[in-house]
Amino acid sequence: MRTLVVYSHPCPESYNAALKTAAVETLENAGHEVRVIDLYAEGFNPAMDADERRGYHEPDKNVEPVAEHVEAIMWCEMLVFVYPTWWFGLPAMLKGWLDRVWVPHVTFEMPSETSGMKPKMQHIRKIAIVTTCGATWLISKFMGEPGRKTILRGMKALCAPSCKSLYLAHYKMDTSTDQSRSRYLAKVRQHLGKF
Amino acid sequence: MRVLVLYSHPVESSFAAALHEKVIDGLQNAGHEVDDCDLYAEDFEPRLSREERLAYHDLEHNRLPVSGYVERLLKAEALVIVTPVWNFGYPAILKGFLDRVFLPGVSFKMADGKVVPNLQSIHKLAVVTTYGGTRLRAFLVGDPPRKIATRLFRGLIKPGAPVGYYALYDMNRVTQVQRENFLSKVHSKMGAF
Repeated sequence: MRTLVVYSHPCPESYNAALKTAAVETLENAGHEVRVIDLYAEGFNPAMDADERRGYHEPDKNVEPVAEHVEAIMWCEMLVFVYPTWWFGLPAMLKGWLDRVWVPHVTFEMPSETSGMKPKMQHIRKIAIVTTCGATWLISKFMGEPGRKTILRGMKALCAPSCKSLYLAHYKMDTSTDQSRSRYLAKVRQHLGKF
Repeated sequence: MRVLVLYSHPVESSFAAALHEKVIDGLQNAGHEVDDCDLYAEDFEPRLSREERLAYHDLEHNRLPVSGYVERLLKAEALVIVTPVWNFGYPAILKGFLDRVFLPGVSFKMADGKVVPNLQSIHKLAVVTTYGGTRLRAFLVGDPPRKIATRLFRGLIKPGAPVGYYALYDMNRVTQVQRENFLSKVHSKMGAF
């Protein structure tokens, strides 16, 4: 399956970088064709600027500033996000990628007087999240898991109606150990391998 | 009261800009001292950098790259956020404010691996926002931005502090009258803040 891995962490030596490497290897071994977007490495700018916002509703024009990224999301059939959960949500970098790349007319049609929003990303049949959380599972649930829901409810609604999802998280990162981190890496390999 | 207003929209002629103007005017009419933080106008950098990430838990140094913003946040007695909701979340520039300024030692402290809130000087919070989706769709998605306000922020500020959440939904289909009504509502709420 054509798979796009979107990765967002500022440190190449981080645990998240190891998760990304494990994810890519696993997906390739499973026979998928993998492309990686490393948002920090390419210096992606997450803040939608005034010109872009003014052109947001204009077909074609709204694609120009992020054409390569739009091409990538139109190409893929599976999306895999690897990121640290910060403040229960997506890092600003990744949130900005969604804001700027998932533009109307390409990914959905705006609602009109007579009809609701129309999704246009039905070619995406699988979405996976591999993340790390400082908080516990319980507190994450209490906060409503904003990051998870932005992707697995918000963005997923634009994808195939039968789109499958996978959510993997290592909680309590601040008290994690070598063992817990290796265990989670193994879990990521195992679950992504058969996803 | 000293009120910090966090505003995030790039376009001067937007509805969010109109809301921002009403918020500032209402708060000033009510006699508050307003610190108007327009994230786009101030060209706020939303990306937590590698250096910042490495020093994140170093309480002496972590705030240096954003010391001005930390000072403004710690001086605030109330917080008002004015923002559109994009893709059921905050715009990146506002999310980045959380990532970079709500640091350990600033918005919370760590004690025995547990988070202890540290913004008790803020004893009132309001969010003024707009959604592209309907209220129902926001509810089905789990309304992440509302939970950030009513659960996360509520937990960081003074316990029991009132939290106001004022939202206009379905922005692509609302009428001129609905928009004007919402502007007046926001103006009067802020006038009584």
